[in-house]
Amino acid sequence: MPHPTPWRTELQAILRGIAGGFLFGIPLLYTVEVWAIGSATDPRWLLVVLGLTLLVVWLLTQVEGFRQTLALRPLEAILETIEAVGIGVLCAALALLLLRRITLATPLPEATGKLVFESVPFSLGVALARSTFQTKRSRDRRTTAPLSRRLTSPTLAKVRDTLVDLDATLIGAVLIGLSIAPTEEVPLVAASLPPLWLLLVMAASLVLSYTIVFASGFTDRTERLQRGLLLSPPTETLVAYVVALAVSAIMLVMFQQLSPSDPWQEWLSDILVLGLPASIGGAAGRILI
Amino acid sequence: MGIDNPPPNSSQASTTGQPQRSMAEWVTFIGATVILLTLVGVIIYDWQVNQDRPPAFNVVVAESIRITDGRYYVPFVITNTGGRIANGVQVIAELDIPGQGEETGEQQIDFLSGHEQKEGSFVFNHDPHRGDLVVRVASYRLP
Repeated sequence: MPHPTPWRTELQAILRGIAGGFLFGIPLLYTVEVWAIGSATDPRWLLVVLGLTLLVVWLLTQVEGFRQTLALRPLEAILETIEAVGIGVLCAALALLLLRRITLATPLPEATGKLVFESVPFSLGVALARSTFQTKRSRDRRTTAPLSRRLTSPTLAKVRDTLVDLDATLIGAVLIGLSIAPTEEVPLVAASLPPLWLLLVMAASLVLSYTIVFASGFTDRTERLQRGLLLSPPTETLVAYVVALAVSAIMLVMFQQLSPSDPWQEWLSDILVLGLPASIGGAAGRILI
Repeated sequence: MGIDNPPPNSSQASTTGQPQRSMAEWVTFIGATVILLTLVGVIIYDWQVNQDRPPAFNVVVAESIRITDGRYYVPFVITNTGGRIANGVQVIAELDIPGQGEETGEQQIDFLSGHEQKEGSFVFNHDPHRGDLVVRVASYRLP
C-alpha cells in the first residue's frame, strides 16, 4: 500500500466525519418540531445547547472520534472536539440549505436557531464516525493519555471498561431519543396515560432493555460479564435505565419540551415515556458499539 | 512507581507512535474554529440586537385585486418589525360594504420571526373597492 500523505489522510478523516454526520443527522433534519423550536429559541439557550454539544462530543472523542488515531493526548481530544463540532455545523448548514429550511430570506435568529439544533445530531455523528465505518468489529477503542500516571491501575482500568459500557448506553439512548424528544408525540402520549400506567411503561422499558442485551443471545454474555464492573445483569439493566432516564430528561429540557414552570407530574410522565425508546436505544448501543 | 515504570501506551505516545499533528490537521482545526466562532458571534449579535424588542406587525394590503370566478382575492404582506419571534399571529380582514353588511376573513400564521415577511390572501364575495377594508393583527402568542 502506498504511503498516504498527511493531506490525503486528513481529507479521508474529514469525509468520514461528514458521512457519519449525515448518517446521524438526517432523522432530525426531517422533524418539523426542530425547525419550530430552533426558530423560537432564546440566543442564550442556543449557546447552552452549543456548549452541551461540545461537552458530549468531547466525551465521545475520548473513545470514538473521526480520525483513525488510537492514542490521544488530552489537548488533542479538545482540538478534535472543536473540529468535529465545526464539521457538524458545516454539514447541518449544507443540509438545511439544500432542503431550503434556510434561505437568503430567512431572518438571522431563525437560521441560527435551526442550525444550532440540527448541528447536535450531525456533530455526534461526526464524533462517532470512526467506529461507524470501521469494517472490522474489533475492540480497538481509543485511549486518551491519562492526566496522571496513577490512573492506570487495574481497578481503574475496570472502572474505565464500565464507563465504556455506560458510554455505549449513553450513545444508543441519545441516538434513538434525539429524534423522538422534540416531537409532539411525547407530551401527547404522556398526557393520555392513566397514572398507574407509568409503572407499566417503566416495567416494559426494563424488560425490553434486559431482553435485548442478556436474554436474546445477541452477544457473548460471558465475555461481557468478565469485562467491566457492571455487576449482575439486573443491576446493569437498572443502571442503564437510570442513564436512559437522565438522557431523556436532558434532551426534553434541551428541546424545551419541559421547563421549570411545568408541574412535576408532566416532568415525570414525559421522562418515563421518552425513557422507553431511550432505554431500548441504550440496550442496542451496548451490544452494537 | 509510575515514574520508574511508565505504561507502554504513554511512552509510545511521546516517542514514536504518536507524531505531532500534521499541517492538514491544523488547517481543519482553523476552519472549524472559524465556523464555530462565527456561529457564536452571530448568536451573541442577535441576543444584543433583537431580544429586547417585542414583536410588532405591519400589514400591507396590495392594490391589485385578482378576480376569479366572481370572487375577489386580496393579497397582503405581513412583516414582523420587532426583534422577537411571534407565534400564532392572527390576521383579521373586515370588509364593510354600505347596505350589504360585513364580510370577514381570518388568517393564523404559525411562526413569524423578527424581520420576517409572510404573504397570503383574503377572499371576499364582494368587491373590496366598493367598501371599507380593514386588515389588522388581532393577537399573537410568545413561544
